[in-house]
Parts: sequence; C-alpha cells; structure tokens
Amino acid sequence: MRLRRQRRRLNKGIEKEKEKEKEKEKDESIESLFQQLNGSNDFTLSTLPYEEHTLSIGYYSTLIDSEILHRDIFPFLKDLDAISSLPTLLPIEEIILTTDISVVRDNLLKGYTLIFDVNNLNLFGLVKSDVDKTRQVSLPEVEFSVVGPKESFVESLDTNINLVRKRLPIPEFVSKELIIGKLSKTRVSVLYIQGVANEENIHTVIQRLTDLDFDQITDSSMITQLIQDNQNSPFPQLIDTERPDRIATAVAEGKIAILVDGAPHGLIGPTTIFEFFSAFEDYYLNWLVASFFRLVRFFAVLFSILATPIYVAVLTYHYELIPKDMVATLVTSRSAIPLPPILEALVLELAIELLREAGARLPTKVGQTIGIVGGIVIGTASVEAGLTSNVLLIIVALAALASFTTPVYQMGNTIRLIRFPFLLMAHYMGFIGVAISFCYLLIHLLKLTSLGRPFLEPFYPPRVQDFKDALIRLPYSLQSKRPIQEQTEDTMRFNGDKAKKKADPKK
Amino acid sequence: MRKCGGVILEEKQKQISPFLVFFLVHSVQVGVGVLGFQRIIMKSAGNDAWIAVIAAGISINVAIMIMYLLLNKQQKDLIDIHKDLFGKWIGGFFSLIWIIYWLVIGLVVLRSYIEIVQVWVFPLINIMMFSIIILGLVYYNVTGGFRVVAGISFLGVVIPFYIFLSFLFPIEYANFRNLLPVWNHSVKELSIATKDMMLGLLGFSTLLMYYPYIKHPKKSQKWAHFGNLLTIGIYLFILIITIAFFSEKQVSKQIWATLSMWKIVELPFIERIEYIGITSWILIILPNICLSVWAASKGIQKMFHFHLNKVIPVILILLLFATVAIQGRETIDKLNQYLAIAGLGLVFIYLPILTILSFFFTKKRKGNTGNG
Repeated sequence: MRLRRQRRRLNKGIEKEKEKEKEKEKDESIESLFQQLNGSNDFTLSTLPYEEHTLSIGYYSTLIDSEILHRDIFPFLKDLDAISSLPTLLPIEEIILTTDISVVRDNLLKGYTLIFDVNNLNLFGLVKSDVDKTRQVSLPEVEFSVVGPKESFVESLDTNINLVRKRLPIPEFVSKELIIGKLSKTRVSVLYIQGVANEENIHTVIQRLTDLDFDQITDSSMITQLIQDNQNSPFPQLIDTERPDRIATAVAEGKIAILVDGAPHGLIGPTTIFEFFSAFEDYYLNWLVASFFRLVRFFAVLFSILATPIYVAVLTYHYELIPKDMVATLVTSRSAIPLPPILEALVLELAIELLREAGARLPTKVGQTIGIVGGIVIGTASVEAGLTSNVLLIIVALAALASFTTPVYQMGNTIRLIRFPFLLMAHYMGFIGVAISFCYLLIHLLKLTSLGRPFLEPFYPPRVQDFKDALIRLPYSLQSKRPIQEQTEDTMRFNGDKAKKKADPKK
Repeated sequence: MRKCGGVILEEKQKQISPFLVFFLVHSVQVGVGVLGFQRIIMKSAGNDAWIAVIAAGISINVAIMIMYLLLNKQQKDLIDIHKDLFGKWIGGFFSLIWIIYWLVIGLVVLRSYIEIVQVWVFPLINIMMFSIIILGLVYYNVTGGFRVVAGISFLGVVIPFYIFLSFLFPIEYANFRNLLPVWNHSVKELSIATKDMMLGLLGFSTLLMYYPYIKHPKKSQKWAHFGNLLTIGIYLFILIITIAFFSEKQVSKQIWATLSMWKIVELPFIERIEYIGITSWILIILPNICLSVWAASKGIQKMFHFHLNKVIPVILILLLFATVAIQGRETIDKLNQYLAIAGLGLVFIYLPILTILSFFFTKKRKGNTGNG
C-alpha cells in the first residue's frame, strides 16, 4: 500500500513538473504574453519614443494607482539609460528586474508596472504601483465590546497583520505567507510566536494549508471548513474573530492564527469549546464579573438547547412531573390549543428562525422593523388565535435570546441547529429521548479535536490547571502559566510570584 | 503498537493518564445495581447489610491488588497473558470465556435498564427501537477508540453526580435507630450478603484489557483502589439511608428501593424526581455498556486479528438480538445470578490461580534462558 502511494505521489510530482514546463513553453515569448493580456480591455501597453531609446510601458489600469504612475514613474523615465538602472532611478523600493516571462505575467497581475526597452527584450523591469483600496479600520460589529479596544480587521491582509504586529512588537512574532487557490491566488498568513507556539501545531497548520487544493478562497470561513479536523461536524473547530486584540492575545498564549487576504476575520486554533463562550470583553472586566457573565452565557446555552425539548417531553409524556400549583398555569394557557406540543413547538421555533433569517437578509433598517412586527404582532396574534400557548412563547423567545449570547457567531448558529434533533427525540421518547440526544452530543464533543488537540479540554481530559480560564476566569495573578492545551514550548507567561506582590511603599 | 524492551504498550497518543483509572473503575461498578441492591443484600443481612457492603469493598480491593500484581508483572493485557502461558488454543479458550463474560455484563446492564424504563416510565416501549438507539450510542462511542470510552466514563461519573444529592431529602423522614442493634446477624448470613453485594461490583475486571492503555500503569493502582472506595462510599450512603428510611419488611417488597426513595423528594418546580433520576441514569449505564463492549471487541480483535471497526457492529447486533430475546423479570433475574456466579469464579478463583501460575512460569522461563 505504502509503496503504491509513494509511487503515485512520485508520478504526481513528475506530472506537475511537466505541466510547469508546458506552461513555460507556452509563454516563452513576450509577444504571446501581450496577445493574451490584450484580450482584456483594462490592460494598457504604450510606447514612449525617447531620443536615445524607445521604452514600452504596460500595466493593468484597474490594478495600479495612476498617481504613482504619474508622479513617481513617468517623470523619471526620460533620464533612463538602461533598464538595469531602474532601481537607482525611481523613488520606489520594490522594483524587480527579470528575464523570466512568467514572473512578468504574475507581477503584472499583482499591480506592478512593466517597463522595458523595445530594442532589448532581454531584461524587464517591474515597478510596484498597486492601488490600495480598502475600507478604513472600523468598529467591531459582530464582537462589539463596551470596554477595550474598538478596532476590527478589514479586508486587507497587510492592514490586518499591522493591527496584530503593533500589539506584539517582538522579532519572535512570525508571519508565514502562503498562496492558496488556483484561481484566486489568495494570500494566507500563518501567525505565531517562535519559541512559544508548539512546533507540531505549526507544522499541522502549515501542512494542512499547503495541502489544500481548491480553486477559490474568498473568506477565512472557507479555510475553517477546509482544514478543520472533522468537516462533518456542526461545531466549528477554529474560532473566527474580527478583533485584532483577541488574535494578539491568542498568539501570545501559544496558539496559531490564520489571516486571509480579503477576509475581515482571523482564525485561531487549537481551541476548545469553552473558548467559544468567552467574549473577549471578559478579559477587560474584573474577574468576578467576568466569571459571572461567562457562567450566565454557559447556562444560556444549556437553556437554549434543552428548554423547548423539556417542555415538549413533559407535556407529551410526563405531566405527572408538574407540581400542583404549576398545573393551573399550564392548563389555562394550553386548554384552547388544538396542536400537540411538538407541532406547537416546531411552529414557534421555525417562526423564530424565519424572523432571524429575514432580519439577517434584509437591510438593517428594514430588518429591525421585521423583528418588531414579527416578534410582537405574530407572537401575540398566534397566542390570541389559540395556536400556541403563552408559556411556550416565552420559552421559545428566551431560548432564541439565549442562543444569541454566544460571542462567536458561528457557534450560535450551531446551537440553534442542534436544538431540532433534541426536539424530535423529546417527542419520540420524552425525557429519555432528551438524555439520549444529550449523550450523542457529549460523545460527539469527546470525539472532536481541534488541530489534533482535544476539543472538550479542560473538562476531558481533565486538566485542573486549565480551568483557570474556561468556565470562569480567575484573576491575572493566577494566570502565570500558558494553557496545557496548547502544549507550548515556553509554558510561563510571566513570573507568578512577582505579580502577586505589589511594590507599594509601606506606610 | 510500540515495543520497548519486550513490553507491549499502546501508542502514547492513545493512552490516558493514570488517574482516569479512578473513573474507569468507579463507572463500571455503579450501574443499574445501585437502584435495587438493597432488597437482595438485606434479605440475608437485614439492618447489618452495611457491614456486608464494607466487607465486599475490602474483598474487591484485594482482587484489584491481585490484578495489579499480575498486570504489573506481565505488562500486557489478559489475551496476551493467556497466549504466553497456555499457548494459542487453550489460552484462546480462556480468553473467550472472559470475552463472553464481559459481553454478558453489557447485556445484563442494558436489559435491566430497559426493564426499569418499562416499569417506571414507558410500559409500552418498543424494546427493539430503544435498544437500537442505545446501541447506536455505544457504537458511536466505541468506534472513537479507548480515549473516547474513557471520556464517557469520566463524564458518566461527573455529570450525573448531582443525582446523589437528591438522596439527602429522605433523611428528613429517616429513623436511624433502624441501624440498631448492630451485629444481630450471623457471620454466615453476612457472608451471603457480601457475596450478593459483590455482584454489581465486578465490572472493574475490564481493567485486564485496558491496562496497556494507561500511561505509567504502575502509578494507576492507587487510583483504582480509590475508585473502588468511592463506589463503596456511594453504596454505603444509599444503603444507610434506605435502612433508616424503610423498615426491613418494606424493603423486601421493593425491587428498586432507591427509586422508591425518590418518591418522597418534592421540589417547588418538579414532582416525581425519579423520572429525572432514571433519565440521568442513561449517562451512568452508558460507560458500563461501552467499556464492556470495548473490552470484548478488543479481545476478539486481538485473538482473531479482525479489524476493530468490523468486530464492533457484529457484537452490537448480537447484543441487540439477545436484548430483544430476553423477556420477563425471572429471566433477567436468573441471568443476573448466573453472571454473578461466573464473575465471582473468574475474579476470585481463576485470577489468583492465573497470577500464581504466571509468577511460577515466567520465573522458570527466565531461569531456562539464563542456563541455556
């Protein structure tokens, strides 16, 4: 088996080389390249007849900044005596001199300007003059926080790396760039701190990224789906965040971040399920307050998954469970309703999903109206019409609200999805169905890994030390060690003993 | 598999840390038995049954010690020990007995649980569908490898632990004078009760299969003992409350005394807490079934060199048919008794003999190689 695989790999390598050679042959001459490029109307090729020689200049007018062209290139060309002296002549630092046609082609497509002597086709000069049109760094919208920095990533990789690097001005902070996508040629950067991040993790990420064979990468969420350990799981196994401070902290903790050009979100891994429920604001609040909110969020998730199924289970099978005083409330709210609990619940759950989806697809202002109209009008109307009970309406609305407390958007979606199998099982087997679905969920989480590290850590495998920043967040003086989860090369964040002492002058 | 100095241990990534043995040992000992062990042991020992629980705990600790003597010496699992000592055929025969024993443990746990569900929650439940769903869970778990099985053992102990707090409610109505007079039963009666008590505690023998999966296995021995201690603690806690809460005659009429005790619990938002208890109990029996199915399928895989993921479905289908085939209280009770006798024989008679034999033979063999 192994031999065969090796041979196949060898064959593949040979084929690839052959393809490359073919490509080279195809583009051997500059004329054929121009013929190809002239096929699109935004490619400009003009000839400038100077006294001593005739220069030709070519560029994609849509990719380059005409200001650079007019201010920093044209005025100097008059004095040019040979292409080889371009670097000394132009006030631009990135100038490539090459004889290779394929280099010329690739860089033209990146926004370089081609300059060459018509009479001497042996040397081509390429001058970087690309236009940098991205939006301004703005407020985080998905992960907004009241306290703390309010910068978020934009669609430009360089700006994003800048946002992280200015928070980690150390030479050990490394950014490895890869090109992924046959058509999109997307730049993907892997960020980590040398000497802190686990070598194995770094290799895993880089190897998985280089092995990717895909045509077009338009966002980081595609990378998550393509490289995560279990692609058939509804749970995302890499955190995506739009906060540069979160990425910087994660990298400092020994994690590895991935930034994708054109994506306003970065990815973090290896991660655990508990991190999906920690908002980054937790680190800016007092540890007691932060821990309380984390617990609230965690119970919100449990409530969101279990509330409606338990309602269905109790009303379908286990009505003996309801205490006397509560029976009256339930009976009055349900006596007029013709539907069985499961249908009642499904209708309401789907209505809420409908509202959410409509709100998400419509422009912001219309979306708000839809939310109000749907929430209040449809809700009250359906209760008055006797289609659903008041109690269930409250439960479903609360459950939906609870699912929105998850700080990571993708996780919120997952939680809303996994509620439905629970509902169906509750209808089929009551409480036992809910428990069985819960067991399936637990086993699924046990099986999941994030970059090969257990996803349910520190709960399983149990690591007491990592509980300091999972369900609750302990004070910083107790956070002197990096999480075991990351298996960091350097486990100490800072000297814990020193941090506890305060150097106040004694009174 | 990694071989170092002739010792066969599993790959490091598949191994678990030694203290998880605490949960592995404990989780297989607490199963359906906890819900109804009181009647069986109080039949012979009455209000002195708690002595029997302690005696059983001590005997199990001795058995764990013997097991570790054998395993620490051999550093491999039971199947390999059998093969080394008795050769392929006789060794294989003994291994097969153990594999069947583990399978029957899984079967009995599953069937008894279904019986409880039938009696207490859904009288008309479709046993076939219910077993398929539970065995589906087991399949999903066991195919994840030993780490996932150990994981569900851990979660199966930690998550449903809240349920034991509910036993504090009956204390309000308990009469602890029921425990007096102490020692009003003969040693014979107590030893019968001890024997009966041990039936539910014997699942820990799966240790013989997962020993190579423990990192630094020698360090895990104390955790195995602690795991057993926790089990005994829980049984003792429930038994003492039962003795104090019920009279002896009442207990003799309760097949599931623990469940009956839950009827007294009353909370402002919930009545009939036994429903919650039975529901949570799924998480307690799941590790039982998973671990025994894992041990059996691992054994078959090692003996016949099949792929593990092909053995598991076959075993689960066998279990499914057996579960559906068993009908009625008497059959379940009888199966329980046979299993108990087999378990006692295997753990307290066969294992010590095997340990002595293994010491004797390996020493001799070493001497031979030294001379030759």
